[in-house]
Amino acid sequence: MATSWRMPMATDSRNLLAGATTRAAGFCVLWLVLAGYSLGDLPAAAVAVAGATFVSLCLLPPGRWRVSPLGVARLALRFPGQAVMAGVDVARRALDPRLPLRPGFVTYAPRLPPGSARDGFCALASLMPGTLPVGTNEDGTLLVHCLDIGQPAAAQLAAEEAVFMRAVRDG
Amino acid sequence: MRVLFDSFTVLAVSAGAVFFLAGTVGLLRFPDSLSRLHALTKADNLGLGLVVLGLLPQATGPLVALKLITVWLLAQLAGAIVTQLVARAVRRENQEA
Amino acid sequence: MAEFLIAAAGFVLAMVALGLARILRGPGDADRMMAAQLLGTGGIAALLLLAAGTDVPAAVDAALTLALLAAFVAVAFVNNAPRTDAAERRATDG
Repeated sequence: MATSWRMPMATDSRNLLAGATTRAAGFCVLWLVLAGYSLGDLPAAAVAVAGATFVSLCLLPPGRWRVSPLGVARLALRFPGQAVMAGVDVARRALDPRLPLRPGFVTYAPRLPPGSARDGFCALASLMPGTLPVGTNEDGTLLVHCLDIGQPAAAQLAAEEAVFMRAVRDG
Repeated sequence: MRVLFDSFTVLAVSAGAVFFLAGTVGLLRFPDSLSRLHALTKADNLGLGLVVLGLLPQATGPLVALKLITVWLLAQLAGAIVTQLVARAVRRENQEA
Repeated sequence: MAEFLIAAAGFVLAMVALGLARILRGPGDADRMMAAQLLGTGGIAALLLLAAGTDVPAAVDAALTLALLAAFVAVAFVNNAPRTDAAERRATDG
């Protein structure tokens, strides 16, 4: 949780400038979508975009993540189906009069090293059917809560992690 | 065309409502905190997704539709991260107990 | 269509209220923290439905604010809960 609010020193300043420009453009688009287009808004938009870009560069310096657009696209296409399966799975168990649950923990040894990319994978895995990473064990493996320990959670997580690692990695 | 759009909205929003119902039933019936967190994260998120999907044909313009999708994306992002935080808090409570 | 959307908003709100009643009973703080999340997703869905059903586009902005607030509430809760627990324990021990 200790976050330094100093401007990050990227390995070279061109890298920092490129990162700042891309993100500022992204925040401009976000502003237009959320607030609409109006000339009178320009000062407020400029302040908001500059502030958002600065905070974003502090929290995630450019070059920390290596992002593959093709990998992200594949991840994004996979996501809706997985989310539907996860929701249907929980709904089926909740609405079944017999309440078919076998909750418990499994450990999973992730291939991703500890870091923000692994945290991102954990957040994603909590939206996948039946799995919910709750923390890291002392030996570095993940503790994962499952709704049904009879399900092949580790295999499912490994498949998910492989897709994730092609999209985002710590640089 | 209008009828087609409207029936799509009714279908998707109703399906979304079913998942909100399932999420709440899960909250009431599941035996432990982490299982309840599963219900909250997965069922309610899908419910919100279906509601947004169902509202898209009712949007008055492409910008409105884009805004709906943005709200959904932000809610999804925040939800996934908050779920991680709550899960860690539950684990800490279990360790202290 | 408007009636349907408003009715759906009411239904989602009722589900949120029921869930809140369960969650606020606890027993742990983490259970209560889920209230923020439930209000987040359910509240956003209800507001979006109302925005479309009553033709009040500003309700979408309210939904957006709710999404951000729910996230902040949870983060604040996680950051502060252990510290207050420790402080309370010191107070009762000392």
